[in-house]
Amino acid sequence: MFKKIFAVLMIMVFLLVSIGVVLAAEGKGNARKGKYLFRKNCRTCHSENGSAAELSPISKTQADWQKVFDNYKQLECKAEWDKLSDQDRLDMYEQLYGHAYDSPSPAKCK
Amino acid sequence: MSASSKPTISRRSFIKLSGAAAAAAAVGGPSRVLHALVSGNEEGAGVAAREMFSACDMCFNKCGLIARVEDGVIKKLDPNPHSLKSRGMLCARGNAGIKQLYDPDRLKYPLLRKGGRGEGKWHRLTWDQALDHAAEQMQRIGETYTRCGFLFMAGTDMQSTFVHRFAEAYGSYNVISHESNCLLSRNRAFLDTFGVVPTPDVLHSKYIIMPGANRFEALVTPDSMDLMTAMQGGCKLVVLDPRFTKTAALADEWYAIKPGTDMAFFLAIAQVLISENLYDEKFVAEKINGLDEFKAHVAQYTPEWAEKETEIPARDIRRMARELAAAAPAAMIYPGRRSSDYTDSTQIRRSFAIVNALLGNWDREGGLIVPKKIKTGSIYHDAPFYEDNPEDRVDAGRAQMMFDEEGSFKHTRDAVIEGRPYPIKGWLTYKTNPMQTGANRNKTIQMIDHLDFMMSVDIVMSDTAWMADLVLPAPSYLERKDPISAFLASSSCSGVITRDPIVPAMFESRPVFWIVKELSKRLDLTESFDFTIDDFRKAQLEKLPEVVTALKNEGVYNITGPSYGIHEGKPFKTKSKKIELFNSRYVENGVDPMPVYHPPQPVPRDHFRMVVGRNAFITQSASTNNSLLWELQNENSLWIHPKPASNLGINHGDRVEVVSPAGRGRLKARVTEETRPDTVYMDTGFGVISKGLSNIFGKGACIAEILEDHADSVSGNMAMHETFIRVRRV
Amino acid sequence: MKQSTPKKYGIVIDGSRCIDCKACMIACKVENDVPEGMWRNWIRPLQNVSGKQKSEFQPGQCMQCDDPSCVAACPVGATYKQADGLVIIDPKKCIGCGNCVSACPYGARYRNPAKNIADKCDFCQHRLKRGEEPACVITCPTKSRIFGDLNDPTSEVSRLVSEGKLVRVIAPHINTRPNIYYREGTRLLDWAVTPTLPGNIHMPAEFWE
Repeated sequence: MFKKIFAVLMIMVFLLVSIGVVLAAEGKGNARKGKYLFRKNCRTCHSENGSAAELSPISKTQADWQKVFDNYKQLECKAEWDKLSDQDRLDMYEQLYGHAYDSPSPAKCK
Repeated sequence: MSASSKPTISRRSFIKLSGAAAAAAAVGGPSRVLHALVSGNEEGAGVAAREMFSACDMCFNKCGLIARVEDGVIKKLDPNPHSLKSRGMLCARGNAGIKQLYDPDRLKYPLLRKGGRGEGKWHRLTWDQALDHAAEQMQRIGETYTRCGFLFMAGTDMQSTFVHRFAEAYGSYNVISHESNCLLSRNRAFLDTFGVVPTPDVLHSKYIIMPGANRFEALVTPDSMDLMTAMQGGCKLVVLDPRFTKTAALADEWYAIKPGTDMAFFLAIAQVLISENLYDEKFVAEKINGLDEFKAHVAQYTPEWAEKETEIPARDIRRMARELAAAAPAAMIYPGRRSSDYTDSTQIRRSFAIVNALLGNWDREGGLIVPKKIKTGSIYHDAPFYEDNPEDRVDAGRAQMMFDEEGSFKHTRDAVIEGRPYPIKGWLTYKTNPMQTGANRNKTIQMIDHLDFMMSVDIVMSDTAWMADLVLPAPSYLERKDPISAFLASSSCSGVITRDPIVPAMFESRPVFWIVKELSKRLDLTESFDFTIDDFRKAQLEKLPEVVTALKNEGVYNITGPSYGIHEGKPFKTKSKKIELFNSRYVENGVDPMPVYHPPQPVPRDHFRMVVGRNAFITQSASTNNSLLWELQNENSLWIHPKPASNLGINHGDRVEVVSPAGRGRLKARVTEETRPDTVYMDTGFGVISKGLSNIFGKGACIAEILEDHADSVSGNMAMHETFIRVRRV
Repeated sequence: MKQSTPKKYGIVIDGSRCIDCKACMIACKVENDVPEGMWRNWIRPLQNVSGKQKSEFQPGQCMQCDDPSCVAACPVGATYKQADGLVIIDPKKCIGCGNCVSACPYGARYRNPAKNIADKCDFCQHRLKRGEEPACVITCPTKSRIFGDLNDPTSEVSRLVSEGKLVRVIAPHINTRPNIYYREGTRLLDWAVTPTLPGNIHMPAEFWE
């Protein structure tokens, strides 16, 4: 009986996961490049002494990063985002989502 | 000082600490320095004495110390009473620190290999020659094999952050920490249960089960001292260990558990807690995810079943579960530190984490806590991106859920030997000694054979440096200016510490910061290193003036205030935002979402399981050659039970040969009932190959030579207790 | 600094706190430049491998006895009792005969092979002069040793002594009146030996029990 419950649970979990990561399903980003792009494009402002709130992958949960990327057109710095290619955004997503504070591999360095 | 007001803290240490604090306030400045000058005058006789704060580096703990210097020579290292983390103590290794500084075996200038690797023939270089050579090799390897063709490995050190920064600037993400030979399984398990790796509030605990950990020998501050204080106040300690360690010797109860069966014990504890409704229902309802699944899962794991696996009587397991519950939430399963034991170590540690969760000790006094940590500033750098680099780490995919920023030494080594998925041809090691600590030394040698260039930065000619092509001399911690280091301890004793040189660096030794900065100039990466340590510290402490003052006056900054009850109502950093008894991410990664017990491999006939560890005067391989500590122990021995020893004709003190599929070693037998008949034990840190370690060369056997290199399937942590060996008298 | 009553230094040792980490031994060795292979202090173990009863580790060192047999055994007056209770060796007078080494019931003395003189713990007299506690006391992770002035009724050692839950390790037939006290319940009480005194030495009558 337990095995049955378990199987059902597994299926549910898979479903949840696949819904959650729609963006990633479009193609895989390169987290390494994403780290570089994030620093180059975002950290100028989003840093300790910058003009915007300091940001690193562990500033947000995976769900929050997901929201940011889904709705970047509503952000104040939309213009900066628009300069990036789809692939660039995917790379950044891979890095930030993959190392978010509730991810299995939370980022250690900034 | 808030921890000191707790009734459980030793009154004596309270008096000491507050007395010291009062003295400092009265003097109003670097009290120790002033005090020394006054008494120096009293004693007269022209000895220029001064005393300076620093942080010990004989192991990873960073205990506060005060160095007494007379006529430019460090005479004595004393504990810094202001250091709450170290509870105003300095252990044997801390006291022996001056022999790391004044050691005739120290590396004195850069050395280039002349003969074959490991032959020990060297050619002295100037620093310019050495750095030019290293930069040339790094440039060539980066161009030929991509930047990821160069591997970086730095041990626990306040300057290791610069090695990581250098690796990033250079463009390699093949960076391994020492952690995968140490504690990754524990980190994996607790992170995947609680969303963060907590620290145990030993000081206020009333009931502690300590599986495998040996806190009275493998000292961790403040846990080791707090454990004694807690026990003096009535805390009960139960030790599960196949070996009669000093922790076992001082425990209320010791069980020589059958090695590799700890999970069976804790699943049975969980089964009792659940079947007898001994858990805090409100806590569970609010904070735990997957209780129903877990209930169904553990029903099968009764104490009677566990008795057969663990060899611990069912009635004792049941009793301990009830006692734990009665003491909860000030009760804990001690999470432990080194967890490089079994191929399912993450799952074993998950069972520890889950019992803690059921005890409701999260964020509670005497339970598992996550104290506040000071957030220091930093100097950012924009590391370049190299388009030709491969997509991922060389060890990616070899474990189910590896930590991206830690990697796995075992899997990286395999990848280097196989040349897959891409070749690695260069290696920089700093203050880490995988030749001694990474199981299967012959494989490490094989790995090095596949390299074009290997360089080691170290204080002495460690076994790893011995195998290198270029060896660069580093100063000891007493001669160095280090960045600020914020540390997380427990029970309101987290804090910040730093180091300034107490005496100038001896010989031609140079700190690794200087080395990577010089290399960055030669590799055109200066942007990442356009600062001094002082600049770096300034950035770190820019917004923390109170830390600056405390470091100046007391040599340490202690974080005060409660360290528990501070996360109430906040979501857990897990996927379900709750404590995960059932981990759905594990399912995604093909890992059992709840710990499923698999019995350990049975010990084959005429074999023994080998386990390893250390005592309070050994820091793995980093301290055994220290001439003071060497007086306490100048070789290791094989602990073997009298029964099998007599069957093998082995007497106490006989020389024996230990043989495993990985290698062999010879050492003295210590025939003792302090280990199980099916288990032998050996200390780390001996059997060296480096003739540069003159005190211990030729003494004892090396664990890394004998142990096979199994790995924890989830984290990639080395699994060092999965080796079966044979013993014979020689 | 008022010093109306003379000091009398003593140590109370709580063996139940000791974890046998050897910090005190290395601290002493460094502080006092004790040569290789020699020790001024020690940790004595009582191991119960059964795990049924806790083991005990008992630290120790020169007990700065009030009736020191070592002082009596010294033919040249090189070792003497100070007003503050410390038993001291004058390196200029010591001839290295070794009489005091065998005269100590506690094995607390050794002959320094480099200097050819007797040596032992002096509670880090030089540190006391600087206002610091002995090296072994201050460095101990679990604070097994409590150091203080037995003549100061407000000191912790005096308080513990007056509570009376302490014992002293006494050699058979001889009580040198040691100033190191152990917490009651210590099971390591029978290790002191009847000292070997040179034939021409006469100890006071109350010395022998």
